[in-house]
Amino acid sequence: MFNFKRPRHKLHISDENDLRLSDLKPGEKGRITEIGGSENFRHRLIEMGLTRDAEICVDKYAPLRDPMELIVKGYHLSLRGMDAEKIAVERIV
Amino acid sequence: MNFNIAVAGNPNCGKTTIFNALTGAKQRVGNWPGVTVEKKSGHYNQSDHKFDVIDLPGTYSLAAFSAEETVVRQYLENDEADVVVNIIDASNLERNLFLTTQLIELGKPLVLVLNMMDMANEKGLQIDVDTLATLLGAPVVPVVGRTGEGIDLLKEKILRVSTEISMKARLIDICYPRDLEIEIDKLHQLIQVNDVTDKHSRWTSIKLLESDKQTRDEVRLHSNGTDILDQAKISVGRIEGLFKDTGRAIISSARYGFIQGAMRECVVESLVDSVDYSRQIDRVLTNRWLGLPIFGLFMWLMFKLTYDIGSIPMDWIDRGLVALMNFISDLLPDSMFASLLVDGVIGGVGAIAVFLPNIFILFLIIAVLEDSGYMARVAFIMDRVMHNIGLHGKAFIPMIMGFGCNVPAIMGTRILESRRDRILTVLINPFMSCSARLPVYVLVAGAFFPENAATVIFSMYILGIVAAIGSGKLFSRTILKGMSKPFVLELPPYQRPTLRSLVLHTWERGYLFIQKMGTVILVGSVIIWVLGYFPTEVELDRDYGSERTTLTLEYDSQFIALESKFKKSVDQDRSGYHSEMIVYESSSSYLELLEQYQLLKKELSSEKNQQLSSLRQQEIGDITEQKWIGRVGKIFEPIVRPLGFTWRESVALITGFVAKEIVVSTYGVLFGVGEDVDEGSQGVISGLRSSGMTPLVALSFLVFTLLYTPCLATVAAIRRETGTWAYTLFSIAYSLGLAYSLAFAVSYFGRMFNWLS
Repeated sequence: MFNFKRPRHKLHISDENDLRLSDLKPGEKGRITEIGGSENFRHRLIEMGLTRDAEICVDKYAPLRDPMELIVKGYHLSLRGMDAEKIAVERIV
Repeated sequence: MNFNIAVAGNPNCGKTTIFNALTGAKQRVGNWPGVTVEKKSGHYNQSDHKFDVIDLPGTYSLAAFSAEETVVRQYLENDEADVVVNIIDASNLERNLFLTTQLIELGKPLVLVLNMMDMANEKGLQIDVDTLATLLGAPVVPVVGRTGEGIDLLKEKILRVSTEISMKARLIDICYPRDLEIEIDKLHQLIQVNDVTDKHSRWTSIKLLESDKQTRDEVRLHSNGTDILDQAKISVGRIEGLFKDTGRAIISSARYGFIQGAMRECVVESLVDSVDYSRQIDRVLTNRWLGLPIFGLFMWLMFKLTYDIGSIPMDWIDRGLVALMNFISDLLPDSMFASLLVDGVIGGVGAIAVFLPNIFILFLIIAVLEDSGYMARVAFIMDRVMHNIGLHGKAFIPMIMGFGCNVPAIMGTRILESRRDRILTVLINPFMSCSARLPVYVLVAGAFFPENAATVIFSMYILGIVAAIGSGKLFSRTILKGMSKPFVLELPPYQRPTLRSLVLHTWERGYLFIQKMGTVILVGSVIIWVLGYFPTEVELDRDYGSERTTLTLEYDSQFIALESKFKKSVDQDRSGYHSEMIVYESSSSYLELLEQYQLLKKELSSEKNQQLSSLRQQEIGDITEQKWIGRVGKIFEPIVRPLGFTWRESVALITGFVAKEIVVSTYGVLFGVGEDVDEGSQGVISGLRSSGMTPLVALSFLVFTLLYTPCLATVAAIRRETGTWAYTLFSIAYSLGLAYSLAFAVSYFGRMFNWLS
């Protein structure tokens, strides 16, 4: 809810191309370009298959808008919006 | 020979199903030393060999992130297992193989099990099992765990890998990019030169490149540990400079690179349109609009089934216990031993044994939710709410269950993966007002707020929720800070649960409760009994014996007076009687007199009985005051006086520690109504009113009852689930403190503003 007011998590990526996983709408696909956040968080995501260049699809949002359901490497995974915001993606059409 | 077989795999890969299929019902559940991670073991025999099987906790990796991962890694690194059986969900091959790459590097004899082959086929995946086996250098057995298909072949493979040396040394190395391999080689050689005993030196080298703390600590102890660590530092610097990422991220990505290569060679994805049933079900169950109402319905059903169906066998147990108590009382002479057995042991343990059906039904429902895959959706749906208190979405289930009984609710926190979440949920759970507190609310609110009883009771429930949320926020910002983990939750495909695993799950958890009744609750009940039984001889201010005699004599003379009065009026009546047709004793006037007399006599005798039992009850109240329990109540009286409580409230609250509903029966005893009171009992209500309790004190008493130290059974459950006395004692102290402060606030502000006086 208050995600809008908080400054976004800083990533290395250039500002003009700044698309995050949390920006994708249900049904949209992206390719991971960078994962920010704490070491533990990044490593956990990579171990779950969210490696750089991995394709990721937003399936839907939970009834209360958070968390979101993703499809990655053929399985379903759920992440909170605040964590998905730490993942930079490029849109795949 | 004896072989140790370790079953490893990702969560949701069907590991437990395979474990059950291997070992049957011969299982033991315990805890891994030092941590509250369930340890399951079993065994089976084949060809004169005994296979001890350990079901390792499900993990995605061996990074030692969580308690589960640490347990698995330690067990596998310590060389306790002869063979590792890695269960792989064939329908989710890519991510499952990530753990497999690490297991290969650990260098243990390995058997790979491709589980859920049927689901993989449904998904349109064709897996070339032989090629996969060659690529990974270990035998691969395709099975369908739910039907048991392929289990015999698996046993056969385990036997061969255990007994035939030729089967063991076939493990290959996972190939990494060239730049990584160069650094791995450097470390590998250095370790082999320095320490020939290290059986998995390649694993150690890779872990050093990941800057794994545990491995670094171990290497430091080696004879040339500093040399190796120096080289590791250089190597890590080189690869991190080259790949612009941390060592661990590079290695993990490289593992996935290897897996992708393997997948290309042995998996064919057919283009036939397959139906993803799970996704179809989720279209409804986690739907934007329907998700919440359906979840609410499931929760309501869970409650309904647990308490409605549970109440039937509950009744049987209750009747059985009463019969048992009567039987023993008749069998044994009235003695201390008989009282200990009947009032202490059976009464105390029995009060909690009646919850057994509820607990078993609840555990069965939880097992269904877990095995079907719905539990992950609960977390998905409720995470937004629970995240507010710093908790995982799944924590919602134990919180709701707390309204029924905190004991199964606290035991239900096992569904949470992180220890920090478990402890936080356990600590705030007792504030959810359990059903045992309801009789107390009904009694006290009924006595003092007859007009607004429902409102008062409802606000107690709300206050409990507020206390839980507030405490949760407080704890997650103070004592349990920083231990939180990111929410990364797999939503596994839905599955039909198997009966066998449901029964096993339910029994395992229910058995823990039975175990607890036999220990902690037994001891606690005996302590309360001792407090209420001793000293056996008490000195009372009033001589109840002579009062009883006086009372009896008084009534006897009244009876005589009544009789003589009757005789006198009969004589008078007879003298005025003239009819010769009917004898006087049949005349209507005589019958009228007789009826009148009998009515008066009956009234008098019931008055006598009432007076006598009231005297008896006063005596019991007085005796209780003199018993240790009453004295303890008196000791605590000064402490609770600021809240407006007397020694009676103090005693009631102390006995309520065994089980909160006992507060009601204690009042029954104290006001001499007898123990068999229900919450509507007029005797207790009038006793409470005449004891000088004001509505304000009553309200503060209700607040205290809601919040103070949960019952003995709950304390035992907290001890069991947190694994330490520290958290248990903290929970007791915190809830006592909170109860006292809020009850004090109620009576203080109440007096200040003259509310409800």
